[in-house]
Amino acid sequence: MYVGQPIRRREDVRFLTGRGLFVDDVQMTQPIAHAAFLRSPHAHAKIRSIKTERARGLPGVLTVLTGADWVRQGHGEADGVWPVNDRSGKPARTVNRPFICVDNVVRCVGEIVAMVVAEDRHQALDACEAIEVDYEPLPANVVTAKALDAGTPLVHPKFGTNEVLETYHGNKAVVDEAFKKAHHITKLEVPTNRVTASPIEPRAYMGHYDPLNDRYTVWTTHQAPHIVRQYFTRSLHIPEHKLRVVAPDVGGGFGMKLYHYPEEPLVLWGAIETERPVKWTGTRSECLMGDTHARDHYTVGEMAFDKGGKILAMRFKTLAAFGAYESQWQASITNAYHFTMLSLAYDIPGIFTQVKGVYTNCTPVDAYRGAGRPETVYQVERLIENGAKEMGIDPFELRQKNAIPPEKIPYTTAIGITYDSGDPPELFRKMKKLCNYEALREEQKKLRAQGICMGIGICGFFDMAGAGPVKMMNDLGAKIGCYDVASVRVHPSGKITVFAGSHSHGQSHATTWTQIAADRLGIPIEDIELVEGDTDRVPFGIGTWGSRSLSTAGVAVAVAAGRVIEKAKKLAAHMLECAPSDLVIENGQFIVKGTDKKIAFAEVSNAAYHSGDRPKGLEIGLEETAFYDPTDCTYPSAVHLCVVIVDPETGHVKLRNYWSVDDVGRVINPMVFEGQVHGGCTQGIGQALMEECAYDPSSGQYLSGTFMDYAIPHATDIPMFGVESHVTLTPSNPLGAKGGGESGTIAAPACISNGVIDALYHFGIRQITQPMTPKKIWRAIQDAKAGR
Amino acid sequence: MPSTKVSMKVNGRAVSAEVDTRTLLVHYIREHLKLTGTHVGCDTTQCGACTVHVNGQRIKSCTIFAVQLEGAEVTTVEGLAKGKQLHPMQAAFSEHHGLQCGYCTPGMVMSAISIAERYKGKALTEDIVRHELEGNLCRCTGYHNIVKAVMAGAKAMGG
Amino acid sequence: MYAFNYHRPASVAEAVKILKASSDGRCLAGGMSLIPTMKHRLSSSSDLIDLNGIKELSYIRREGDQLVIGALARHVEIADSAEVKKSIPALAALAGGVGDPQVRNRGTFCGSLCFADPAADCPAGLVGLNGTVITDKRRIAADQFFEGLYETALEKGEIVTGVSFPIPEKAGWAKFANLASRYAIVAVMVAKTGGTARVAVTGAKASVFRVAEMEAALAKNFSAAALDGIKVSSAGMNGDLHGDPDYRANLVSVMAKRAVQAS
Repeated sequence: MYVGQPIRRREDVRFLTGRGLFVDDVQMTQPIAHAAFLRSPHAHAKIRSIKTERARGLPGVLTVLTGADWVRQGHGEADGVWPVNDRSGKPARTVNRPFICVDNVVRCVGEIVAMVVAEDRHQALDACEAIEVDYEPLPANVVTAKALDAGTPLVHPKFGTNEVLETYHGNKAVVDEAFKKAHHITKLEVPTNRVTASPIEPRAYMGHYDPLNDRYTVWTTHQAPHIVRQYFTRSLHIPEHKLRVVAPDVGGGFGMKLYHYPEEPLVLWGAIETERPVKWTGTRSECLMGDTHARDHYTVGEMAFDKGGKILAMRFKTLAAFGAYESQWQASITNAYHFTMLSLAYDIPGIFTQVKGVYTNCTPVDAYRGAGRPETVYQVERLIENGAKEMGIDPFELRQKNAIPPEKIPYTTAIGITYDSGDPPELFRKMKKLCNYEALREEQKKLRAQGICMGIGICGFFDMAGAGPVKMMNDLGAKIGCYDVASVRVHPSGKITVFAGSHSHGQSHATTWTQIAADRLGIPIEDIELVEGDTDRVPFGIGTWGSRSLSTAGVAVAVAAGRVIEKAKKLAAHMLECAPSDLVIENGQFIVKGTDKKIAFAEVSNAAYHSGDRPKGLEIGLEETAFYDPTDCTYPSAVHLCVVIVDPETGHVKLRNYWSVDDVGRVINPMVFEGQVHGGCTQGIGQALMEECAYDPSSGQYLSGTFMDYAIPHATDIPMFGVESHVTLTPSNPLGAKGGGESGTIAAPACISNGVIDALYHFGIRQITQPMTPKKIWRAIQDAKAGR
Repeated sequence: MPSTKVSMKVNGRAVSAEVDTRTLLVHYIREHLKLTGTHVGCDTTQCGACTVHVNGQRIKSCTIFAVQLEGAEVTTVEGLAKGKQLHPMQAAFSEHHGLQCGYCTPGMVMSAISIAERYKGKALTEDIVRHELEGNLCRCTGYHNIVKAVMAGAKAMGG
Repeated sequence: MYAFNYHRPASVAEAVKILKASSDGRCLAGGMSLIPTMKHRLSSSSDLIDLNGIKELSYIRREGDQLVIGALARHVEIADSAEVKKSIPALAALAGGVGDPQVRNRGTFCGSLCFADPAADCPAGLVGLNGTVITDKRRIAADQFFEGLYETALEKGEIVTGVSFPIPEKAGWAKFANLASRYAIVAVMVAKTGGTARVAVTGAKASVFRVAEMEAALAKNFSAAALDGIKVSSAGMNGDLHGDPDYRANLVSVMAKRAVQAS
């Protein structure tokens, strides 16, 4: 068996030896021309005029294109994959993110105003500088919390409001009643900070057009190439059969590389116009302002407890930033992923939430690893933590008291989602032992007496992963089908190529998908290769996002492999003159049970393609494709705990320990799973302690434009992790796998925040918003000391 | 466009070219020599994805001009393995799952080898490794397995 | 990046000649600050005069009662130098904390002085240790070298060839780094020589500065306790994403004490 083993990764050698193939590495026979983009330096401005004549005349310049050209040529726009659905019945106020400014108003810093294509990057940038744009700056609105206040500048004046939509969920009557009889109520402002995924590989695209054959090719840093291909039918009106989209090696995506970004159709447009391959590779500065941003919820919440610390109900009001436009998957956060998971790992009878989407003059917001659930866990867990403290109950104990007991699972939350499997009390028990909780509390007391501020942060949650089935996600607003696809092609020699509609950009599919296939097929893993990321080779696919690839594409691999074996068995049985049910497959051999009669898999596969002697009606060939639609989403769960030491003089937080106990169902490769937890937690730690896409509230200027100002965790910021699992299988797919890609980013922000507040609670500090940077922590301590 | 001729050795091979003076070493390596293992991840000399060895020392190839490398010996990630035999540090990264998407990996491995060389014969602790990795950013692994890989790789290199 | 002519002189004299002949030339040593600004098109020069071919500028040595460091001495060489560790260990500590290891392999102490970044470590080293900048034509005392944000006393065509430091009895370095850039939000060099003390702060204002009140207290009693209760005014201090003026003023006090403790 390969599944369950920490098999070394089969993709490693090419990356370790510099032989990976990322978009910027792709070579062409024709010289590659470079695109550069002139971007708005203003958060909000009217464009009085654009003059491109001087730029066009500069050396090496092949073309200069603007929004006027885009409109004149009749090109289109990209509407939402997850369109806004205003549940209050009011029409949603949707404005899709434009590829290039077409209406002479720029609404966020970085919005593209013009494109230059030139022989090299220096010439392209020289020409960008030579374009003269006459801007009339307009007042900007960059503060989510104030987006709906009277007098706030409107991003899209035609609506008369910055509100995109309003949506509300839960059992309001139960909640109102519970608050009336509550023993204790905790209230808190719990906003989540605006961050961005920042994979180390910047976004990059290369477009190519072959006019003689009328064929288009796009190489893209993308998580879902087939989705991109369909998008091109709307942006440049290129039908799928004419376009090949290749997402080769992609250097991290984290949800952010899931959209039809402006530069993607624009480079292909440039290629069409110049009949040259045209490439753009983003600089970090361009990416920090142009990659979708994430989170940015302004939330106020209340939690009602009974005398014993049982949570009776909670209610929230959230303003969810959309940025200046609606990015294509944005509404999956507000309409599907955020509110659905509010119950976390707890049995809470009453939940009510009101969410209003709002426009601000900021970069569009979209999904980033966790998409909505980091916000959810943060807002609920901060209330639990403070509630426990206010009531004098140990926070771990209070959580255990409220954890959903296994006998109540399947458990339907007050929001209406049903958790199909899991055992939260066991996760808490395991964690308590893993971290030696009582000893930590003792140590905390001892250190506090010495003036050292140690804090313990805890959180527990359920995640909604494995997006699917199609119907359920349609009902939650998805316009795309949430399933996935795999083909298993057995070659005559018995060697196998698996084609999957997922895309690995760090997730290790070349290893884990072949582990699954090898077990199903009973042949060595070395005899199987995986192909992903090419629309001309892979039948179809929805791509990799939302911790869904294992429970959709991974299962599709298993299903297709199972079909291959069923067919091969029929042929093998014919060749061995037995019944298919008499056969077992082991180590590449079909064996007649209880006999020494056997035949090699390779002989059967060869016969499948070349022998006329086969059972009646059995089709030639040995290849199967599965479009797998699961029966439900998956519901991974986890408990995380950390220890922080806060330096009250500087406000610096040292993260000393981080432990997790995750239930992700069947683990295909524990080494890969642990790596996913480490990486996710580190991103969540970054969100909690340092990451922030910051705008100057008065000018609207973007302040986090390089890695000099946007902080992502370094090796020195992170401890070694203690990762444990507790497995309960999901009934929603035959592997029993739930997906573990997002646990870390979902849990860590709440976990770390609770830890920091725990370290500083004795100063009278009740809340510090994220990122909890040294300056903010120091300020909170000063304010607390001064009684503010 | 001012240009200058420059000659250097890259992975043991003598190379020579007339380059625009603005050409950064990383672009020379990637675009002129087609050695695309060395990557660019930022524009402020921080991420370290472009780390190469110049005359035996690790540097960021995005912050030096190709013309400055006259007569230098440059080693990139492509120059580490001997045929199919991985360098012990490369093998350690695979053994300890010190890479996910693979984009920061070449720079990480080049840094890791320098760390092993610098601490040869001295105790290499987790704390030292983390500080020595200050100039390399990874967004996938959370560093846990990279730290393990560097320590194991250093040991395998005879440290 | 804007186009430039590239020169690689073999001597200081030749470098000075090229620099003077250029319309808007600039010297390049480690390039760790200069090249990123060029990449962002925030800086342009007609000519870059690469000093890395001038071998005589690569040295670290003791000259009588002075520690002298050549313009091409890299941070890593200063951090690792047995001579520096013996004479002024705080300077080795400063150099060992600049940027990151790859930056230290390339960047130079003198280059950082010339760039005069308000958040760079080296200016506080020069001023705190009362060093002297040596150019091709004169010596400039630390207190006269920095003239503001990215501004120094260097004249057009003047090239820094090295820097010398008197050996203090005690010196200490403490830095609170920006989580993103790893430049200093505030860093402090303190030094004691005879009955005098110096406290130089970087990161907090447009340029490195000394704190007279702290120096007076430390001159009497060179201990962290001597700094108790000394508050620095936040007037004129930098305010940005990473720290407001009050926060920086607090860090000056905290880091000054930690620098004394480190001495």
